Amino acid sequence: MESLKINSNINLYYIPMTKLKTTTIGVYIHRNLCKEEVSKNALLPYVLKRGCKLCPDSEAVAKYLENLYGASFGASVIKMGDDQIIYLGFESISDKYAPEGEKLSEDITKLMMSVTFEPVSFTDEVVGQEKKNAVDRIMAEINDKRQYAMLRCGQEMCKGESFALSVLGTKEGVEDITVQSLKAHYENIITSSAIDIYVCGDADINALADEIKQYTDKIAFKEAKIPQSEIFAGKGEVKRVTDHMDVVQGKLSMGFRTGIKADSADFVPLMVMNSVYGGGAHSKLFNNVREKLSLCYYASSNIVKNKGIMFVNAGIEFENFQKAYDEILVQLDAVKNGEISELEFTSSIRALENDLESYKDNQRMMQIYCLGQKITGTNYSIDELKEKISRVTIDDVKRVAKNVELDTVYFLAGKEEA
Amino acid sequence: MELDFIKSSITGEEMYYGKHSSGLGVYIIPKKDYSKTYAIFGTRYGSVDSKFVVPGEKELTEVPDGIAHYLEHKMFDQPDGSNVFDKFSKYGGNANAFTSFNMTAYLFAATANIEENLETLMDYVQSPYFTEESVQKEQGIIGQEIRMYDDNGGWKLFFNFLNCLYQNHPVKKEIAGTVESISHITADYLYKCYNTFYNLSNMSIVVVGNVDAAKIAQVIEKGVKKNEPFGEEIKKVYPEEPKEIEKNYTEQKLSVAMPLFMLGFKDTDTGYGGEKLLKKSIEINILLKMLFGKSSKLYKDLYEKGLINNSFSLEYTMQPDYGYSSIDGESSDPKAVYDAVINEVERVRKEGLSKEDFERIKKVMWGQYIRSQNDVEDYAVTFMQHLFMDIDYFNYYDVYKTVTFDDVKNRFDEHFVKERSALSVVNPV
Repeated sequence: MESLKINSNINLYYIPMTKLKTTTIGVYIHRNLCKEEVSKNALLPYVLKRGCKLCPDSEAVAKYLENLYGASFGASVIKMGDDQIIYLGFESISDKYAPEGEKLSEDITKLMMSVTFEPVSFTDEVVGQEKKNAVDRIMAEINDKRQYAMLRCGQEMCKGESFALSVLGTKEGVEDITVQSLKAHYENIITSSAIDIYVCGDADINALADEIKQYTDKIAFKEAKIPQSEIFAGKGEVKRVTDHMDVVQGKLSMGFRTGIKADSADFVPLMVMNSVYGGGAHSKLFNNVREKLSLCYYASSNIVKNKGIMFVNAGIEFENFQKAYDEILVQLDAVKNGEISELEFTSSIRALENDLESYKDNQRMMQIYCLGQKITGTNYSIDELKEKISRVTIDDVKRVAKNVELDTVYFLAGKEEA
Repeated sequence: MELDFIKSSITGEEMYYGKHSSGLGVYIIPKKDYSKTYAIFGTRYGSVDSKFVVPGEKELTEVPDGIAHYLEHKMFDQPDGSNVFDKFSKYGGNANAFTSFNMTAYLFAATANIEENLETLMDYVQSPYFTEESVQKEQGIIGQEIRMYDDNGGWKLFFNFLNCLYQNHPVKKEIAGTVESISHITADYLYKCYNTFYNLSNMSIVVVGNVDAAKIAQVIEKGVKKNEPFGEEIKKVYPEEPKEIEKNYTEQKLSVAMPLFMLGFKDTDTGYGGEKLLKKSIEINILLKMLFGKSSKLYKDLYEKGLINNSFSLEYTMQPDYGYSSIDGESSDPKAVYDAVINEVERVRKEGLSKEDFERIKKVMWGQYIRSQNDVEDYAVTFMQHLFMDIDYFNYYDVYKTVTFDDVKNRFDEHFVKERSALSVVNPV
């Protein structure tokens, strides 16, 4: 990876990955996740998408992309711990696959710059439409029950803290936004946020850096840093919450505190611990809750890297709540006691290595990986991290597992359930 | 096993391919410098194939719905009591399987020990072992899988849509069957289906990744177990499907935030695979984007009126036996979206299609094809899906370049017919 500092706030990174047939550009604008601006940050990328100096409206954007052999342009918000990231992503096939020798990567870069620095979409019409869509997206969080149960578990767990906020903001927050307030917010954040631009594929990185400098030369930037996340502390008691909805399958989500920071020496063993416990078809949760007891179709665990949180999720019959709950904790105890077979352990290590190695074939995953490393300040390359994983022992896993404590039990039950 | 070699001057892709004496089709696509290799071992057998005549038999065999998917789950049990996932895990392979309407496939992705993982894949898919007890045990897991889909608005929307379009074709039935239908599945039924559809002459293997083709071919050759290829085709029996749709509207209530809709047109120009089918799919995909895509007048109107949002998507699904185009998304007023689509079709029928739009959208199809070769997994799956429709995906360009504006105009008249359109809605409770 090559990195070029454009100014105090903007960093440009280039990861060649030319074996792939596309060129992918990601713009990541970092903001501190907080009640005051979460909704504005959530709305902004969708408004930016609606028009810029180069392509003044949606139709012009769409035609521009179609002419680049169906290049893609996506906008969204990402939550990494307490960092709320405004994301603008672009992808086009690489120049050598353009049948007429078109310079596609140049053209997609032009769009990226214009969208980021020259928006023209702060109008009553556009902002009004996108506010409605933003509210719809928030309401639609209930549609995917599996995700929703985990989201609700996290909200209950971190109630009162910024991490409890949905990355999409709140209905009230979105409704309060005006064209003026959003425009002012854009002007403020574009000059006062850390901005990372990742480019993968076929690109002339020095030329791109010069171009970004030209665009940003006249802007006065206020030096900004990437938001830092706080490790979730919890209150010690186990919190239990049940919601009722018109569903036929119950969704159990259990939130645990790990207390382990992403830049601590224990974090890599924690990754292995999660893999052993619930990180795939080789894991204890899969083999016991699903295969042995036939209680569910899915049962898995995952860690929230920057928050010291681990979730376990399973979809079960309502009446099997207690059985599944008990077995999930029995398996955690087994990990804590070091009851881990050689096969479980090596399978877990291999699965992690395999996932990491796969990122090398995916431009978008590679960007997210590098961004994640930058946010935690670890900056491990994939090979470095793989090497660290290979040195983890069963004793390390046992040791870090002892930190894992149940915090919140969330159950999405049916309407009729008591 | 002799393999042929082909290289595309346009995409730079290379492929080794051939047929093993057992009847197994072999396709190896080397991807230089890639970390990941993906192998998929699949059979032309899916959820729609519940009635068939076994080669050499005269009588029709009829099995419970959901059996192809059930069989897929049970393939992971091994005669020696071992677990297939354990074997893959040992070699760092990420194994999985899926069943669709028309195929069942077993696969792994790995970044190391490719040959060992491939041996494991070859071995377990050729080692069926079913007992009444193990078949019984799976009812709980698959039962939960079915229940999970019962709460999934998008899934229900899709099947309700198919139930509008089709009167008899089994594509209208859920892939996993029902809790009731799977209760009739026995070990005998599983063996019967296995011995029919998992004959290697009905199967293919596709490997995409950073591999040495000769070594991979050797592993495959060694991995083939005793197999007598069928001398004749397996006769799959489907009920006759009229051109007319079953009904043009359906709705269901589920706990979703906003109404979900799926609307579309039943394709009645069916009954063929190969290049002709590929060409039709390119034509319909171009038309969908020209008429309803992000640069279209209709999209702009609906979006600005707040009738659709970013979740709007378009698709054409092709199979030799059936096909349909579909438009889905979220809307506060699905009927207004449906009416707007039908009106737009009528307007275009009067005013004609734009050649400029055609030229621009045709380029999008090329970009999609190039992009489909990026990810080893998507590439291998897409390749196999096409293979099972007798389409040579490697030489996509040969068909793509023949698609003209006139073809698309004719296809418009043929496909976008109001009487064969339907709307499925999932409303909030």
